[in-house]
Amino acid sequence: MVEIYRSKYYSLQQAVRERAFYLDLGQKTIRMSLCQLLSLRHKVMSISLESHFDCDLNKHGFEVLLLCNKEHLFILNTMEVIDLKNLVEHGFVALGLSVATEAVEV
Amino acid sequence: MKDIARQSMSIKVESMDLLNGQIKMEAHASATYLAMASWCEQNGFFTSAKFFFKQAEEEREHMMKIFNFLVDTGGSPISPEVTNINHDYSSIVDVFENTLEHEVKVTKSIHNIVKKARELGDIATERFLDWFVMEQVEEENTIRDILDMIAVTGTEGVGLQMIDNQVANWIE
Ligand SMILES: [Fe+2]
Ligand SMILES: [Fe+2]
Repeated sequence: MVEIYRSKYYSLQQAVRERAFYLDLGQKTIRMSLCQLLSLRHKVMSISLESHFDCDLNKHGFEVLLLCNKEHLFILNTMEVIDLKNLVEHGFVALGLSVATEAVEV
Repeated sequence: MKDIARQSMSIKVESMDLLNGQIKMEAHASATYLAMASWCEQNGFFTSAKFFFKQAEEEREHMMKIFNFLVDTGGSPISPEVTNINHDYSSIVDVFENTLEHEVKVTKSIHNIVKKARELGDIATERFLDWFVMEQVEEENTIRDILDMIAVTGTEGVGLQMIDNQVANWIE
């Protein structure tokens, strides 16, 4: 298992022999294919952080994340969402699939 | 270190995001042309209606071309949400003027993705878009020709009906 990126709360690992990725989300670690990782990226990037600072849009500042075809459910607070966005951005750069240079440091 | 990811996907995720945006745009164009076809049917421009039904189909084909490219490259294509389709036009001239405006917007969007893909060094995406760049030249030209024909024919008297009849020349 090779670590690809570690953020404040989470980490993304790669298991070369299994051709799979492992995402450690603290509460549990989930195994993912690249497709599932792309789907996670889409979900995480679609979360509007602005809504977390607007009581009308997101009263409690929580985000529900359903992953891997509804196999896993996570509830994240604002800081965790920011951290996960950070992990996704840097993770894809580390994987060589993204060349984003303006990734936000948190 | 990078192998599994790179072996599973042959384009950059930034390109994928832009192409998913383009999928949405083509779907929106398809729905817009369908709305125009509906307007033409309701206002007695039956040949123009046929023209827009065909355009709607073509835009959907464009969408599927990009969708399949994302499948082929190991990306994750997103089925688009289409909202905000305008059904109100003041005249048949208004319909075609809006069409040209819409096509120019699509052209700009495609050029933008080509430039970004070039910056990213994503040659596959850049090459893939060659076809779209040329297709846009053709589409813009078609609509410009129709607008020229409208200007020459004029909208007085039987002009409007003559315009509709001549649109047949642009339906292959
Ligand atoms: Fe198109
Ligand atoms: Fe078009």
